[in-house]
Amino acid sequence: MTDPNPWVVAAAVTVFVLAYVLIATEWVHRVRAALGGAAVMFLIGASSGQQAFFSAETGIDWNVILLLFGMMVVISVVNQTGLFEYLAIWAGKRAAGRPYRLLVLLSVITAATSAVLDNVTTVLLVAPVTLLVCSRLGVRPELFLVAMAMASNIGGVGTLIGDPPNIIIGSRAGLSFNDFLVNLAPLAIVLVAVFLLLARFLFRSAFVIDPAQAQDVGALDERRAIRDPALLRRVLAVLALILVAFALHSVLGLDPSVVALLGAGAMILVSGADRSEFLQDVEWETLVFFVGLFVMVGALVNIGVINWLGQQATQAVGGHLLLAVTVLLFGSALISGIIDNIPYVATLTPLVADLVAGGSGSESTSLWWALALGAGLGGNATAIGASANVVVTGIAARDGHPISFGTFTRYGIVVTTVTVLIAWPYLWLRYFVLN
Amino acid sequence: MTARIPVAIVEIAGCRSSVPCVRARDLMEDFPLVGKQTDALAATRLLVERGLPGLVVLDSKGLPLVVLPGSQVLRFALPEYVEDDPTLAAVFPEAEADRLCERLAGHTVAQLMPDRAYLPQHDRDRPIVDPEATALQVASVMSRQHSPMVAVVQDEMVLGVITVHRLLGALLPDR
Repeated sequence: MTDPNPWVVAAAVTVFVLAYVLIATEWVHRVRAALGGAAVMFLIGASSGQQAFFSAETGIDWNVILLLFGMMVVISVVNQTGLFEYLAIWAGKRAAGRPYRLLVLLSVITAATSAVLDNVTTVLLVAPVTLLVCSRLGVRPELFLVAMAMASNIGGVGTLIGDPPNIIIGSRAGLSFNDFLVNLAPLAIVLVAVFLLLARFLFRSAFVIDPAQAQDVGALDERRAIRDPALLRRVLAVLALILVAFALHSVLGLDPSVVALLGAGAMILVSGADRSEFLQDVEWETLVFFVGLFVMVGALVNIGVINWLGQQATQAVGGHLLLAVTVLLFGSALISGIIDNIPYVATLTPLVADLVAGGSGSESTSLWWALALGAGLGGNATAIGASANVVVTGIAARDGHPISFGTFTRYGIVVTTVTVLIAWPYLWLRYFVLN
Repeated sequence: MTARIPVAIVEIAGCRSSVPCVRARDLMEDFPLVGKQTDALAATRLLVERGLPGLVVLDSKGLPLVVLPGSQVLRFALPEYVEDDPTLAAVFPEAEADRLCERLAGHTVAQLMPDRAYLPQHDRDRPIVDPEATALQVASVMSRQHSPMVAVVQDEMVLGVITVHRLLGALLPDR
């Protein structure tokens, strides 16, 4: 659209801000808010069917939607194997009655899993078994669960498929699976290690065993969690192939979304799962939320609002990319601690794309990594900063171990501050000093 | 004082005079009733020893509030994390199943009941029928409330209870 009607621009910005407020405050369910906002964008002429459905820049990014969908199907099948229950109980036994060791083992499993699966799925798998192992060990599980949510958020930062914001960034920026692996995974590993050292002191009150509650962890039989060993072998083989295909997708000429869809198909074939099984973990609400969000953001791109903001941001930065990286990293961490990082990243990506286009080389590409790190690590700051935190606190409350907003935030702010403070020198050294 | 409960949940109709008709009063039997403050372990023993499909729980006014099926008792006895992840049930040693009901000790029936959101919001949602209700009307209440039993109430007095077995026995055609 060229030279849009100023009234349309004003109306579109108002609708967008209103929908954003509704999503952030949860006064209205986020799906309703996003779809309602998208509907109004069509009605006021800020978007059209052609622009919304057939252009990733001004509408729905189907690569993101289908990558998420494919991975949700893959996860549905992987969930049925009992692999994560096996690993967590194994960790409980290996901890040999030492709570900190248990926390380290569970956190490493969670972070590693989170790099491959999305964060919410990871904590849904890990939280129940954490409660079981903690109850057997006779330790209070609240802070263990907080640690699992944080490990999941940190682990998810490291890969393209670890966190939905990374999927959005990867698609919009044209960054590959390997780009994330090379640029973010090393830092994610360092951050997990730092988090574990920090946890030794931060969560020390959780490392007290109540002998009256303790039972023999060794009596649990983790092998019985694996219901079908043959299925597990087949699923692991396909999962490995999917990861290899992600790593080689540029060479193979396959988009990550196509890799995920082919992987999902292969999982269905080798598992023999029926429709109700492989669709049970597909979060349709999340997918529809993304659709509404993309239409809203696309409408702002379409009427030139994002372009104007990008020009302002480029002028403000004035070639000082390190300043832009710093603001993006710390600003994103701050905002993501308060609001859902998915709509935040979806809105910021066209802006960052403009900034990156104004620069050159890996210095400007570091803006994408600053956004991914800020949005991912900032989610640890509060109990509502990331979906994984909300899920974990919900499971804990249902099991009679409520984690208050204040409790989570007290630890979250420390972990977020430390991890973001480590991320900044990493970006500075790697992309501005050593580059 | 208590509000009068609309015992006639469904209109007493549909029973032709020329056809022998089974009424709720013909199907009801004596049944133990429990209150919200009854000890959970004692209530569970009652359930087991009498071979009951569930327990009728009375509210503070002495009127049937909800039917507590045995599955709800199990739900309380099992750790929540097993409900969240049923795979974990397999990893427990067999011997520990004996200790499952220990979790009921020190709790009351009120704690076994479903969340407030799932309790009757209106008197018409209570598991009760009029003594003159027909077998189909009783079946309708059981089916709607997914309850294995209903209480027969008249003038705010519980006269007895109809179990699903008793009802199905009356409804089954002769061989």
